[in-house]
Amino acid sequence: MSISPTEAEEALVAIQTIVKKTRRAISTSGAYAFLIVWGIVWLFGFLGSQFFPSEIGRYFWMGIDIIGGVISAVIGARFGRNVRNSKITNSGKQIGLFWLLLIVYCAAAIWVVWPIGNKQFAMLIILFVMIGWMAMGLILSFYPIWGGLILTALALVGYFLLPGFFYLWMAILGGGGMIIMGLYIRNKW
Amino acid sequence: MAELNEIIHQPIRLRTMAALVTLGANEEVDFSYLRKLLTVTDGNLGAHLHKLEEAGYIKINKSFVDRKPHTYISATPAGRKVFAEHVAALEVILKGK
Repeated sequence: MSISPTEAEEALVAIQTIVKKTRRAISTSGAYAFLIVWGIVWLFGFLGSQFFPSEIGRYFWMGIDIIGGVISAVIGARFGRNVRNSKITNSGKQIGLFWLLLIVYCAAAIWVVWPIGNKQFAMLIILFVMIGWMAMGLILSFYPIWGGLILTALALVGYFLLPGFFYLWMAILGGGGMIIMGLYIRNKW
Repeated sequence: MAELNEIIHQPIRLRTMAALVTLGANEEVDFSYLRKLLTVTDGNLGAHLHKLEEAGYIKINKSFVDRKPHTYISATPAGRKVFAEHVAALEVILKGK
């Protein structure tokens, strides 16, 4: 079989186009949305912790966490149908159920250690969400787990070294970072 | 030296393989989703997938998800290898322009 250089060029352009389209289709079908949803939850949750009175801040966190969990479950249910890992044949419902269970377990852990301070309360939520993030990364393998590891490290740095600015630190670096990463995947990947 | 592959070179099969090798090694894509991605008809895609499956370049996995039948498609290691060789051959031809 032989073809002209022009035909070869056309074929390579067709390949590049479909590769870009596939990557974008996968990312826009849900993976980026987890980042944006939890980025928004963190941004508002931590700003609430910073500026609302302690008790209101906690209820605000719980409320937006539940909303974030429900939205993640819906995204997971939609996402799992299009592309899946053949070795781990989770259906979308199972992924959605995972997120709901994670929220329940997070609430149970907080209940067990109650009473706790606001920063400890926030750190527990961060750690559970990061577990969810990395589990999605490992199961769906559409985004790497390093993002979750970096955010966990940032949270721990803020918690132990910058206690006075912890909430603002997490709202801007954590929440803002997740939103930017999600938008980057959606638009540039 | 890498050689062009006649089975893969057909435009729809070329785009199909390009889409499938973009997925991870253990990932498979739903038939309907792939059809939308490639903007082809059911019958057209089905025929080309059959040809690629016969050649051993893709794997078609029919299963039930939430009690509904779904067909999932993935590239085999052999398919990934010949596709990479095909792309390399195209690049060699282009460089000789």
